[in-house]
Amino acid sequence: MKNLFAFLLGIFLFTSCEKEGELSTKSLENNTTSNTAVLKYSGEFSPTSGITVSGFAKIYLENNEYKLKLENLTISDGPDLKVYLSKENTPINFVNLGNFKGNGNTFYTIPTGVNVSEYPYVLIHCQQYNHLFAIAPLTNN
Amino acid sequence: MKTRKLKFLAFLLFISVSFTNSFAQGCSDAGFCSVGNGFKGHEENMKNSVDIGVVYGVAEEGVTVFSQYLTYTRDVTEKFAISAKLTSAIANGDFGTRGNIGDVFLTGNYKFKNKFSDLEGAKTWSLLFGVKIPLTGANDKINNVSLPMAYQASLGTFDFIGGVSLTYKKWDFNTAVQIPLSDNKNSYISNSLITDKFATTNLFERKSDVLFRTTYRLKTTNEKFTFKPNLLFIYHLGEDSFENIFGQRETIVGSDGLTINGNLIVSYKLNKKSYLETSLASPFVVRKERPDGLTRGLTLGLSYKVNF
Repeated sequence: MKNLFAFLLGIFLFTSCEKEGELSTKSLENNTTSNTAVLKYSGEFSPTSGITVSGFAKIYLENNEYKLKLENLTISDGPDLKVYLSKENTPINFVNLGNFKGNGNTFYTIPTGVNVSEYPYVLIHCQQYNHLFAIAPLTNN
Repeated sequence: MKTRKLKFLAFLLFISVSFTNSFAQGCSDAGFCSVGNGFKGHEENMKNSVDIGVVYGVAEEGVTVFSQYLTYTRDVTEKFAISAKLTSAIANGDFGTRGNIGDVFLTGNYKFKNKFSDLEGAKTWSLLFGVKIPLTGANDKINNVSLPMAYQASLGTFDFIGGVSLTYKKWDFNTAVQIPLSDNKNSYISNSLITDKFATTNLFERKSDVLFRTTYRLKTTNEKFTFKPNLLFIYHLGEDSFENIFGQRETIVGSDGLTINGNLIVSYKLNKKSYLETSLASPFVVRKERPDGLTRGLTLGLSYKVNF
C-alpha cells in the first residue's frame, strides 16, 4: 500500500510542477521615445538597506503624454517589483505604473490625468512583500 | 454490523473530503459541485484512504483549467476523521499557459453518533472544520506580466472552513461557510488596451461564501453504480475589492450574490477497496461579476479512490 501511495503521489507531483508558457496576448510594448519628446524631470536611484541599485529615472512629455524611462538601471532581484510614481519617498500616495520590466532601459506610460508635478519621486517597490527597493527623487529639467 | 458501522463512518468521512474539495476551487467546478457526494466508502476495516482526481473546467472568457488533487484521509476514531489535501492547476487562455501548485487543506470531521447512527438511512449529523493554506500568493505571471485570477492555481488566501451535514435516508444536506482570513497578492490590473475581459484584482480581497447543497443517492441493484444528482447553492456574502493604481481600495460592483450549480456524479465500485468516480457540473445562475476566477461554465471530473 505504501508503494501505491508513493505512486499516486508521484503522479500528482509529476503533473503539478510549476509551468510557465509564453505570453500569447498582445502586450503594450513601449520602448522608445520620439525626437519630439521633451525631458521634464529626472533623478538618480538610491537603494534601501540591503539592496543594490544604479541608474536614472527620467520623465518625458511626448504628444501630451508623460512617459517614465528607467535608464541604465540595474537593481537586485525581487519577486514582485512595481514601479511607482510617488508623492513621498515611501509608498503611501502613489501611482502604480505596473510591473518592473527589467534592468536596462525600460519605459512606462503615465496615465492621463495624473498631475506629474505632484509626484516628485519614482519608487521601485516589492508589492508582494511590501518592501521598498529603491528611490529616485525627481528634479525639474 | 461492524461492516455497516465502518461503511457509514467512511461515508461521513467522505463528506468531509468532499467539503474540502468543494472549497478548493469554488463555484462551479467539479470540486465545489461534489460537496456531500462521492465514493461510497470503506467496505472493510480500513482506516485510511487516498483519493486522486483530475478536473477539466471551462472558466471565464474561454480559459480552460486542468486541476488535480490528492487527498489522504484517516479515521482517528469512530467519530472523528482527519484529512489532508493538496491541489494544483494549469490554466490556458489568451494570456498563455500557467500552472502551479495550489493549496493544502487540513480538515477534521466529527460525527454525532448515537445508537441509530449505524442503521442505513438513519438521521445523522456531522461537523466539519478546517483551514485552507495557500501555497502561492495567487500572483503567478507569464514573462513578468501579471495574470487574472482565472489563471491562478490558488485563491492565495488563508481560509477558515466550517460546516454541518445531515444525512437522512437517501438524502444528504450540507451547509458550510468559507471565510478568508487574509488578502491575496495578485497584481493583475486591467488595461483596456490589452483586454477588458478580466476585472482588476490587484491585492484582491475576497468576501466569504456560504453554501447549501442537497443530494439524492440512487444505487443500482448490483451496487456497482451510484448516481448522485445534486443542487448546490453558493451565496457570496459581499462585494470583493482590489487596490487601484492610486493605492486606494475599490469594490467590484456585482461580485456578491447567488450561484446555483447542477451536478451529476456517478460512482463505480471497482472492488471492495477502490472506486472510480466521474462528475459533470454546470451553473444555472451566476453572479454578475466573478473576479475570483472560480466560476466554471462546465466541468468534467474523474477520480480514483483506494482504501487501506
